[in-house]
Amino acid sequence: MEYKYLGKNINRPDAISKVTGKAVYLDDIRLPGMLHAAILRPEYAHAKILGIDTSEAEKMPGVVKVVTGAGCPFRYGDNIRDLQPMAIDRVRYIGEPVAAVVADTPLHARKAMEKIKVSYEPLPVYIDACDAMKSDAVLIQPENGSFWHLPTLQPIPGTNIANVYRLVKGKGEDGFAEADVTVEGEFVYPFGSCAAIEPHGSIVWFKEDQTIEAWSSSICPFIIREDLAHSYGVPVSDVRVHIPDVGGCFGYKSDITVEQTVAWIASFVPGRPVKWVASRKEDFTSTLIGHGMRTFMKIGAKKDGTLVAIKTTVQHSGGAYADTAVNVTMASTHNSTGPYAFEHCDLTGFTVYTNTPPVGAYRGYGHQESQFATERLMDMLARKLNMDPFELREKNFLGEGKTASTGETMFKTNGDIQACLDIIKKEVYAHPQVREDENYYYGRGFAAVFKTPKGAPFSTKGCYMKMNIDGSVSVNMAGAEVGQGLRTVVRQVAAEALKIPPEKVRVYTEIDTQFSPYEWQTIGSMFTTQGGRAIIRAADKLIAILKHTAAQVLKTDEDYLEYDGEYVFLRNDPTVRVAVKDINRGYITDDGITIGDVAQAVSDARLPRYSNPDKNGQGSIGVSYTFGVQAAEIRIEKKSGKITVDHFASSYDVGQVINPKQIRGSVMGGALMAIGATLYEKMEFDAEGRLSNPHFFNYHLPTYKDAPRMTVEFVETPDAVGPFGARGIGEHSVIGAAPAILNAIYNATGVEFYEIPITPEKMKKALDARQEK
Amino acid sequence: MEEKITFTLNGMPRTVEVDPETMLVEVIRDVLDLTGTKVGCDNGTCGSCTVVMNGRAVKSCITPVRKAAGADVVTIEGLAKGMTLHPIQKSISESGAVQCGFCTPGIIMELYGLFEAKPTASQAEIETALNKHLCRCTGYEPIRDGALMAQKLMQDRK
Ligand code: FES
Ligand code: FES
Repeated sequence: MEYKYLGKNINRPDAISKVTGKAVYLDDIRLPGMLHAAILRPEYAHAKILGIDTSEAEKMPGVVKVVTGAGCPFRYGDNIRDLQPMAIDRVRYIGEPVAAVVADTPLHARKAMEKIKVSYEPLPVYIDACDAMKSDAVLIQPENGSFWHLPTLQPIPGTNIANVYRLVKGKGEDGFAEADVTVEGEFVYPFGSCAAIEPHGSIVWFKEDQTIEAWSSSICPFIIREDLAHSYGVPVSDVRVHIPDVGGCFGYKSDITVEQTVAWIASFVPGRPVKWVASRKEDFTSTLIGHGMRTFMKIGAKKDGTLVAIKTTVQHSGGAYADTAVNVTMASTHNSTGPYAFEHCDLTGFTVYTNTPPVGAYRGYGHQESQFATERLMDMLARKLNMDPFELREKNFLGEGKTASTGETMFKTNGDIQACLDIIKKEVYAHPQVREDENYYYGRGFAAVFKTPKGAPFSTKGCYMKMNIDGSVSVNMAGAEVGQGLRTVVRQVAAEALKIPPEKVRVYTEIDTQFSPYEWQTIGSMFTTQGGRAIIRAADKLIAILKHTAAQVLKTDEDYLEYDGEYVFLRNDPTVRVAVKDINRGYITDDGITIGDVAQAVSDARLPRYSNPDKNGQGSIGVSYTFGVQAAEIRIEKKSGKITVDHFASSYDVGQVINPKQIRGSVMGGALMAIGATLYEKMEFDAEGRLSNPHFFNYHLPTYKDAPRMTVEFVETPDAVGPFGARGIGEHSVIGAAPAILNAIYNATGVEFYEIPITPEKMKKALDARQEK
Repeated sequence: MEEKITFTLNGMPRTVEVDPETMLVEVIRDVLDLTGTKVGCDNGTCGSCTVVMNGRAVKSCITPVRKAAGADVVTIEGLAKGMTLHPIQKSISESGAVQCGFCTPGIIMELYGLFEAKPTASQAEIETALNKHLCRCTGYEPIRDGALMAQKLMQDRK
């Protein structure tokens, strides 16, 4: 559909402040009397703390206070209240806060921190869920099962299993009786770091008037506010949280994590704000990490390729605290079907305590980990059935009238994955495959994917909209701008909804819980969908107010009026009209009496009919779906095993493109991030739980020269939920890279991989082994 | 031991009294309060802290301030002339190269160093310069496009 302001490349509202260096990020904030914290990390990933000696540290220059976890009376968390701001009697991962120094400068704090002495008694370390699940494993959280948790969760007391999630659809595993062929495998997506270029950090200030003020490079100000209020026993309204510009998130700055640690430290120096910003090393070891997922999957099909049954078991190494991992496990488990219809599903997800940093959101939220398995197995199944891999997928797509694993029925408005696949065929498969030469093997592979948000019953987004005296409009929302460009979306959607040029829409710059409308958290690629709906609702209300006032001025009925952004006028006679600028603060009559109302509106929007799953995992927990297909053309150097992605193509049905330049950038960034995960990125924990690569020089993020040529194309089948038919797309671009590239590796060499990353050494070894056969 | 060190920052003479081994980025951000220069890593690998010193792009997180003594230092704050953006800033702001913006000042300063020294830098040279920087958001293509646009704008102006 043609819109006036959607589908156009307007510039980002924040671009100028960012290119001039004037955008304010967390570490750029300076407050009167501000102190700095340095946090001590343990020598062991799992140990009892026998004693902490802070006496030397206290004598160091500039030191105001040395803090330990002793006496901390609470645990916190949104799903399972198992998190602690600082270790008390044991440490459970290598980056855990053990003690902290508050000093006048960061340097003084660091120097004093080095003087703290801690004695430990080491305990066995479990990095992988499969070890921590063994019956004789030492308990990482001995109180597992007794922590407060959401009623939908099922911890197993006396084990390291923090939650078991089950989904059974149709006959479950018995459905395999209907299958003629099965394929199965075990797939590993290792630990990774979101590694935004801005390290995570917070400032917390306990004030003498009993209020708490905090700043964080976070995407969940309202969660932070509620959680701090709960932990420190003050009304929620007495905690004020600010979110400045955020230098990238990709998941790990969600939930409440470092804020509670900084708050605990700051609570010992009331009256003074305390800042802590992670070093890069701490950003790796002491914030949320990603993935850590092993997926066992079995797929059954009829001879003609019709899929009938799927069994998935996800073992998720959740880290030392499981609060932030449980939902990732669930999303991964119920979306492990990939974009296909299965009549029978038996899906289980275990979230397991392990001795790594807590695992949490990472762009893709569980989808890339389990669909890595699905899309590799679909290729294997096609080979086993001797069927074209495109045809196999086309036959089974989760299309109109089919039901997802959760029992949700698909409609035409959920999107057209076939159209996405057709684009990929044209862009990647229409030309002949490059032939092996002296130096290289060449291959191509693809993956069909989908994602739903991971919502919650109260996952609302709010909007305050006010029209100013000149007809310009100020929109205030609480979606965190982490670079994804949601302020551009706000500007364009509001312009379209209000029929005014985007230049007349001023979008909020920071979030402040004191002034911003309530928003649950900016997660799950839901801002465009829910936030956009909230904008349309606010705009509708605002236009209704204008009409209400205009009806009095024009002496007619409201429903006889039309609005075009500049005027409100009679439907049959546009010459009888009143200018919007004359009625947006009410209308002043000739005798100076003001009639009507000020044009301002409040609204919110949720995922409509989102529900909790029942005991079999059935319920409308997806609500909004985005489908797509990605493909890779690769080259493998025979001599070194080095894999180069020459071309990477992505195609999604996004319903409605809001800003072509921005959406292309978003998809390219996500695709490159996932190419990084597939070929280079892995957090290497040794057997003692120490991270051997907590720096950018040994944890390689893709650089300019690693980036392939990118094709990015969209299908636009309007969605029933999102604004003007738009769907979420922020995370989806990370899902298909691993299976597409590994399918391409098979295509090039016949080597079958089940675990990423595929480093040159691994590839070379596999090529050599193949030659020996 | 603290020492007096004088250098030119964005055209203004500045004198600071600091340990000469302090890294330049700390002096710029914490002593002189110019926060446009960013810190993204612990050891000179991300490029966020890039400034231009005596016409060359340097990583200020691994440059001790003593090396800046008597030097001419330009940071991101020194590029725009009043309300007029430098062509590199303008191009980068329009090419889609800005998402979170945390890598942006460093990349702009890298390009500023390159184009000031070599206005006709080849695409390969531009790519080698960009390869020194980490951007987690954009996939780099829009940054390259912005760099090429900027080079053209700068040449057209001459
Ligand atoms: S902060 Fe200087 S290179 Fe990363
Ligand atoms: S724009 Fe975010 S790191 Fe480059």
